[in-house]
Amino acid sequence: MPRAMATVAPTDSDILALLQSGALERAFALLLDRYEGKVYRLCCTMLRDPTQAQDAAQESWVRVWKALKRYDERASLSTWIYTITRNRCLSAIERRRELTSLSAEEFEGEAPALEAEQPDPEDSSELLRELVDLLPERQRRTLVLFYYEDRSVSEVAEMLAMPEGTVKTILYRARAALGKELRRRGLDDPSIWLGVRS
Amino acid sequence: MKPKELSAQTSPLDIALDAALGRALRSPTPHADFRIRLTAALARAGQHEDAESARMQLERERLEVLAELESGYLRLRRQTLGTLIGGAFAAGAGLTLLFPGLKAVLGADAILVVAVLGGIAGLTIAGTSRLARSALVRPLQRVWEDANSDWQEPGASANVR
Repeated sequence: MPRAMATVAPTDSDILALLQSGALERAFALLLDRYEGKVYRLCCTMLRDPTQAQDAAQESWVRVWKALKRYDERASLSTWIYTITRNRCLSAIERRRELTSLSAEEFEGEAPALEAEQPDPEDSSELLRELVDLLPERQRRTLVLFYYEDRSVSEVAEMLAMPEGTVKTILYRARAALGKELRRRGLDDPSIWLGVRS
Repeated sequence: MKPKELSAQTSPLDIALDAALGRALRSPTPHADFRIRLTAALARAGQHEDAESARMQLERERLEVLAELESGYLRLRRQTLGTLIGGAFAAGAGLTLLFPGLKAVLGADAILVVAVLGGIAGLTIAGTSRLARSALVRPLQRVWEDANSDWQEPGASANVR
């Protein structure tokens, strides 16, 4: 049924076929439709700032466009795009670090202690976000992306270039750290969290 | 919302926390003007690429011209060297042939006269060449050219007519 086929989202194979036929602009447009949100979410997760994430996403797409004619299929399209995006984000983090002279632990630190000031108890969702922000960077990044990507471990693994087993381990540790902190604060009653509103 | 792939959470707190995190960490979406800004950035990148390729083309041409000049210069030096060596030997041979005749005409000082004439000829060529390159000659050349063009113009216009 042609009408039904027209509404089917293009797959990576369709985009590859377009690339092989030399239809770069069409392929790029489909790539953008398919990965725009994911690239932006990866940037948001890594940079923690929507404006910087938007800039990094834009730079990533410009890079993708410039390199598209040289794409050699050694890595899958998604892996290739995520690699470009991660590199852009790491450059942005590096620039920011140079500008603000932040210490290396700020971004890649090994588990800073969860020492949050007591947040407003009225806003449990905000509290949760603050606690997540206090996790070690690797755990925070993985956990945030896991929820951004609708709890898909495989998607997170591909976006962060990690084995799925590693993602699961990091998620387990992040949740354990959050649970421990909630218990420490006496906020370990499940009913509190079941009623969270954003 | 039930987790799709993560099955580690077993306690009620874990399950409640998963639901709470799902609500607290909602997917951000790109700004509404993201596509517009991206299109503009892509256009700028294209212009930059065009300018870059034009610059590289000019640079290539410049290098080609330099290489050509370099090879012309080397050719000229070889020609000059060849002319000097050939000229010296030809002059020696000519002098050997003509010397008895010159000696009969100029007497015992014939060799000195030939050497002086050769020296004057050499110095004249070198002096003319040096003067031609000096800035002093340029105004004179301009005057000379102006005078020539003034002189040629009536003829030229006559030809046109």
